[in-house]
Amino acid sequence: MKRSDGLRVAAASLIENPLRTFLTLLGIAMGVTAVIFVVSMIEGLNRYMGEKVAKVGSSSFTVQKYGILTSHTEYAEARRRNRGIRHEDAEAIRRFASDVERVGIQRGWGVSPKYGSRSVSDVQMLAQDYDAYLIESPDIAQGRGFSQGEVQRGALVCYLGWEVADKLFENRDPVGRKVRLWGRGFVVNGVAKKQGSILGHSQDNFVSIPLGAFEKIFGSRRSINLIVKAKDPLRMEEAVDEVRMVLRARRHLRWDEEDNFGVITPDSLMSFWRKLTQMIFSVALFVVGISLVVGGIVIMNIMLLTVVERTREIGVRKAIGARQKDIRFQFLAESVMLCAAGGVVGVGLGWLLAYLVRTITPLPAAFPLWAPILAVVVTSAVGIFFGLYPARTAADLNPIEALGREAC
Amino acid sequence: MNDILLDLKDIWKTYDLGATSVHALGGVSFEARRNEYIAIVGPSGSGKSTLMNLIGCLDTPTKGRYLLNGRPVSEMDDNELARARNEEIGFVFQTFNLLARQTAQRNVELPLVYSGMPRSERVERATEALEAVGLGDRRHHRPNELSGGQRQRVAIARALVTRPSLLLADEPTGNLDTEMGREILSLFDRLHEQGNTIILVTHNPDVAKHARRVVSLLDGRIESDTGNGARR
Ligand SMILES: Nc1ncnc2c1ncn2[C@@H]1O[C@H](COP(=O)(O)OP(=O)(O)OP(=O)(O)O)[C@@H](O)[C@H]1O
Ligand SMILES: [Mg+2]
Repeated sequence: MKRSDGLRVAAASLIENPLRTFLTLLGIAMGVTAVIFVVSMIEGLNRYMGEKVAKVGSSSFTVQKYGILTSHTEYAEARRRNRGIRHEDAEAIRRFASDVERVGIQRGWGVSPKYGSRSVSDVQMLAQDYDAYLIESPDIAQGRGFSQGEVQRGALVCYLGWEVADKLFENRDPVGRKVRLWGRGFVVNGVAKKQGSILGHSQDNFVSIPLGAFEKIFGSRRSINLIVKAKDPLRMEEAVDEVRMVLRARRHLRWDEEDNFGVITPDSLMSFWRKLTQMIFSVALFVVGISLVVGGIVIMNIMLLTVVERTREIGVRKAIGARQKDIRFQFLAESVMLCAAGGVVGVGLGWLLAYLVRTITPLPAAFPLWAPILAVVVTSAVGIFFGLYPARTAADLNPIEALGREAC
Repeated sequence: MNDILLDLKDIWKTYDLGATSVHALGGVSFEARRNEYIAIVGPSGSGKSTLMNLIGCLDTPTKGRYLLNGRPVSEMDDNELARARNEEIGFVFQTFNLLARQTAQRNVELPLVYSGMPRSERVERATEALEAVGLGDRRHHRPNELSGGQRQRVAIARALVTRPSLLLADEPTGNLDTEMGREILSLFDRLHEQGNTIILVTHNPDVAKHARRVVSLLDGRIESDTGNGARR
């Protein structure tokens, strides 16, 4: 028998029993749906994190009192050991780190800016020195940002995120008007371009002021954050190492002591993220593994049942010239088609689910091409593995006994 | 070409049932030439079906030598037996044994599928075979849309479609009423006239009358072998 005829025979028997076919492949399909969905979501988040959150490929990183803390013990330990970052640390880095182009200082804080009787709460206040302002280099859509003189003087000026400007001023032009913070008036120099949101978190909900102005009001004793820009994006790691060496030396850390400050690079953010998603991914893989085994056993059972049910048919086929391998191929093809169809249905459903989530929630989703290919390959392998025994059972049937089934 | 189609010498088929063993066939020797029409008769349990299964290459003897078209069946492996069943033998069963979900056409094509014939040729041959048994207008019917006699004719078309050397029928009229049985037997007569070699098993003396030679089995042995001088 030709292979194409064998496939046709197998396909025909699947089409003849659509309900059985559907129910049988359901188990496999569900597992694949789960994993394709998870993969699509993780892949989407990965790309998103890389581009928007960690800003992979940018050449700056931050230095702050705490790094990325992933456990409660790490947190307790850091609370005990870590020391704040001071202006002198920034000075030392500027002086000694040769791979570093610029060191900016900034502080963050939640505020409720007011204009007249209007007020917006939960706004992110960003106090920047001129270096931080240059590294940030915000896109100003209306008016202007800061001048060097304003920042050095600690002038009471600001620029607003698009959302804050919109809420406080509505249709009026905010440039030149005064926003009140902590009871003081800050002249609005300009409004930054609308940036949209990341994972549902608005990026336009901020007000930036010169660091000097902030410190005039609150003093300069608190810990600051540093934004460090490397001279060469390709020499980020060297820049990070230099900065760490300078800070460790200033803090007299012995070689075997851990850093008592945090450095957050796009890479460290991404690797933290990857660690997180790997966990989710391995759970998903475990789930799909179980569902493939269960689905495979279901298929094996159904196939064995089919063999019993079709014993006479097998006898007839043998009596008119089917070889053992023809019968084996027919049943194996059936089980592989069942499994692979389950895989395809699963990929479709998984994609549909991820697409729906992407459409109705702020979560991103991406559809990597390797996922469906892998799904079909793996489910076909499951089909072969669990189909082999039923197929062999069918092929080994004695034709006379198979034909004589009706006798009893 | 050798005129002798079947050559069975001292064929034994023994079923081992642990303590005892049953000799379904106990030393059967028998020859058949091309274009013979033979009826095998005998009481129930005398070994008729066992002998047919051996001749039809569905089974191999415990002992003895069987030459089909000069080739030793008793030494064939599964693949060779399958091929012999496909090319040399056309089997007609008491219960038709058609595939219920396939049309008459598809049922008749099936042996050609296993011989690897291309589709277009297959369709043509199956159509011819169905026309030869008078079912040219029922090609696209499924078995449950056909009468018993028509089903058996589909089965005969399926048996003939590979142009086998030998047509075997085990109680082909056993499941049919007299009228339909007569229809099938006259078809056999015609096929015999056209040069086919036919061996059929029957209980029914009226059916056996159609054959030119009657082989009578008793307890796994040939009791008598009579007819119109076909025996050498
Ligand atoms: N698989 C088997 N195992 C054991 N004994 C068997 C087996 N098949 C057949 N026999 C025995 O072999 C003998 C011949 O059986 P066979 O089926 O050839 O008889 P038969 O002549 O076709 O009878 P019937 O006219 O009832 O169909 C019987 O005694 C039967 O019990
Ligand atoms: Mg019998």
